[in-house]
Amino acid sequence: MNTKKVAQIGMLSSAALILHLVETWLPVPAPVPGIKLGLANCVSLVTLAVLGIRYAFYLTVIRILLGALIGGILFGPAFVMSAAGGSGSILAMWYASQHWKPPFSVIGVSIIGAVAHSVIQVAAAAWLVSSESLLWYVPYVVLLAIPAGAVTGLTVGYFTDRLSICR
Amino acid sequence: MKLTWADKLLTAGLVVFSFLGIGASVYLFPGSGQQQAQISVDGKLIKTVTLRAGYREEFRIGGPDHYNIVEIDGEKIRVREADCPDQVCVKTGWVRVAPQQIVCLPWRVVIKVTSSRSADIDDIAR
Repeated sequence: MNTKKVAQIGMLSSAALILHLVETWLPVPAPVPGIKLGLANCVSLVTLAVLGIRYAFYLTVIRILLGALIGGILFGPAFVMSAAGGSGSILAMWYASQHWKPPFSVIGVSIIGAVAHSVIQVAAAAWLVSSESLLWYVPYVVLLAIPAGAVTGLTVGYFTDRLSICR
Repeated sequence: MKLTWADKLLTAGLVVFSFLGIGASVYLFPGSGQQQAQISVDGKLIKTVTLRAGYREEFRIGGPDHYNIVEIDGEKIRVREADCPDQVCVKTGWVRVAPQQIVCLPWRVVIKVTSSRSADIDDIAR
């Protein structure tokens, strides 16, 4: 890890952290609690595309830890959900971008990540309260993850097309 | 940016999956019939209440260090007050029809509405 990488990770982490925080201020009208857009995932996906899985994973861990610290939920149940969802999602997107791209574009990879994130979060919540009836939320969160993932994927697509450091 | 065929297939598949899931939950839990609320903490059922017109009850669950106050008013139930940090359970508001539920993640409380006429999902899962 050279100095340039450290600086890039630092910059990307702060961007991800800011998006993560801004997102918690946005109320999303949804029948299921805890739905959000996943804006911070944009940064993870850009990092995955530009710097590779190792740095994308570091970035996700940094974002979740610092985001939870600032949000005041560190080591609480919401943190467990966020950590499980975030790491599961980045691993799913890594696998998808390694093996299934093409046929998938960055939008498909992003949707895979969003769906993995929400399903893992619901599963973590079901495990936390030891009630499998929470799994009834899965179809709803999958339905909402599709547009959220598509928006994130589009953003990343436009971003990497235009940004020269990504080449 | 262009969607590839795989993106479209994935999206279509997921949309179909979620609508089937939502359809299944509506089908398995008909909104008719007598509605009951099952209140569990840490996965253990602590109380079952029948939601019927004219019935009122209010009780506190939790230990010495934290609480949720559950209010039942006729055919609906809610968490009126809780000292959990996220307040998701309170913001959920009133629920009245299966399979609606109220979840308080920090205190591990799940209140789920079940219908006496529905097939029990656990029976199917077994």
